[in-house]
Amino acid sequence: METFATSPIPAHVPLAMVGDFSLFSSPGMQPTPNGDPQAAAAVVHEGPRIFYSPVNTRDGRGTWVITRAQDQRRVLQDPETFSSHRSIFASALGESWPMIPLELDPPDHGKFRSLLNPLLSPKRVMALESAVRERAVFLIDRIAAAGTSCHVMEDFAFPFAVNIFLRFLGLPDDRLDEFVTWANELLHGDNVQRPAAARTIIAFIDELAAERRKRPVDDFMSFLVQSKIDDRPLTDTEIRGTGVLLFVAGLDTVAAAIGFDLNYLARHPQDQEMLRGEPSRIVLAAEELLRAYPTVQMIRVATKDIDFEGAPIRKGDYVSCATMIANRDPLEFPHPEKIDLTREDNRHTAFAYGPHRCLGSHLARREIVVGLEEWLKRIPPFRIKEGTSPVTFGGHVFGIENLILDWS
Amino acid sequence: MKIIVHNDKCQGHARCWAMAPHIFDLDDEGYIKPGDIEVAEADEKLAWKGAKSCPERALEIEK
Ligand code: HEM
Ligand code: SF4
Repeated sequence: METFATSPIPAHVPLAMVGDFSLFSSPGMQPTPNGDPQAAAAVVHEGPRIFYSPVNTRDGRGTWVITRAQDQRRVLQDPETFSSHRSIFASALGESWPMIPLELDPPDHGKFRSLLNPLLSPKRVMALESAVRERAVFLIDRIAAAGTSCHVMEDFAFPFAVNIFLRFLGLPDDRLDEFVTWANELLHGDNVQRPAAARTIIAFIDELAAERRKRPVDDFMSFLVQSKIDDRPLTDTEIRGTGVLLFVAGLDTVAAAIGFDLNYLARHPQDQEMLRGEPSRIVLAAEELLRAYPTVQMIRVATKDIDFEGAPIRKGDYVSCATMIANRDPLEFPHPEKIDLTREDNRHTAFAYGPHRCLGSHLARREIVVGLEEWLKRIPPFRIKEGTSPVTFGGHVFGIENLILDWS
Repeated sequence: MKIIVHNDKCQGHARCWAMAPHIFDLDDEGYIKPGDIEVAEADEKLAWKGAKSCPERALEIEK
């Protein structure tokens, strides 16, 4: 599926510190029927706390890999040394504008966060809850009425996440299928589909911004075009960078989380039973599922030479903080391989540590909890449909496809 | 019991608030309000759990 350029190992990296693990190519990371890529990534805990992985980004670059949660906190809480300025999205198109706030560093980062935080604060999300629940109920009722099996990603997880995003943007539902296709091609398409989808999304965001400038309504884009930073309106590039990020950040991640969660529950009837019997346990269970099945690998760029736990990190090196690796760190979580839906004291990093803590984390949590609550309420005990195998994959954002559940 | 709030470390995860909204008050952006928190005896267990739930280690418990 992917083609990798073979990148030479930089001269400053001691050969003894080179590891052969990669979130893109190691066992379990390629599309795998009935796979468990998060568990597969945990093999790094048999090795050192930091090593160099020669091919560990989508475009085939090497990164340092930080394995311990405590060390990841150090990296992610120190944006002065470990910068987020990478223009990953734009550089794939030969451009160099940042996604905002993801690819900005403090102090600029904080200005945009202060602007956006109130829109997705815990209190604001409480107000969105009834719309989220209404969507979940609509989709699941439709699934239940249609038969005794379904394609979870296509019939539930994606339309659910995309729909809530459309509402947040203030757009009607009639473009839902189009959006799902763009998001899918952007994140999982081939080398032709990906840039094409990126351009389509950019054009869409630019057009929407222009429209809302002319005729503002009560929605997110109108808010953005009327907002000010440092007493000046946002530039077109800033509006685009923010709009595009919200598009890519909140769709696939939520859908994948729901997919991994239902995949787990389909294979663990006793846990299903427990949550069905006591739905109030779902809030805590969702945290454990976020710990066990997080999906994002964060990348930072060193802004200066630094020796980190014996590793000679040099200015410009990429440093990977993979959430699935930190979340299975035995020094942080007793028996990390054990998925215990009643686990307390669960300070996982599914939504990152540090200033880039997921802006959508409160909404995402609500979507996951409400999705599971309504699913378990409306769908009888379910399992993986006989003769089918969900396909999991690793990479920059982990995912699951072909998840077909059956309750006949 | 007192909880020392390190505002510079707070990143707005709101895990403390999710545990005990009446003890951990957040501002409109969702970050914890400044000032150490004096905890009533009846609230100690909950406050302890809330402080322990902070992923950034921004809440320090002082006995
Ligand atoms: C389960 C679902 C989700 C997961 C696992 C997740 C995970 C993450 C992670 C790990 C980061 C940090 C990335 C980095 O620092 O490099 C992040 C940032 C971000 N997420 Fe999420 N996310 C989810 C859902 C959402 C949703 C629903 C939205 C939007 C409504 C959203 C919007 C954002 C934004 C805007 C950022 C950038 C924040 C910043 O740089 O300050 N995310 N997310
Ligand atoms: S849990 Fe920690 S980071 Fe989150 S709001 Fe409370 S103090 Fe802040």
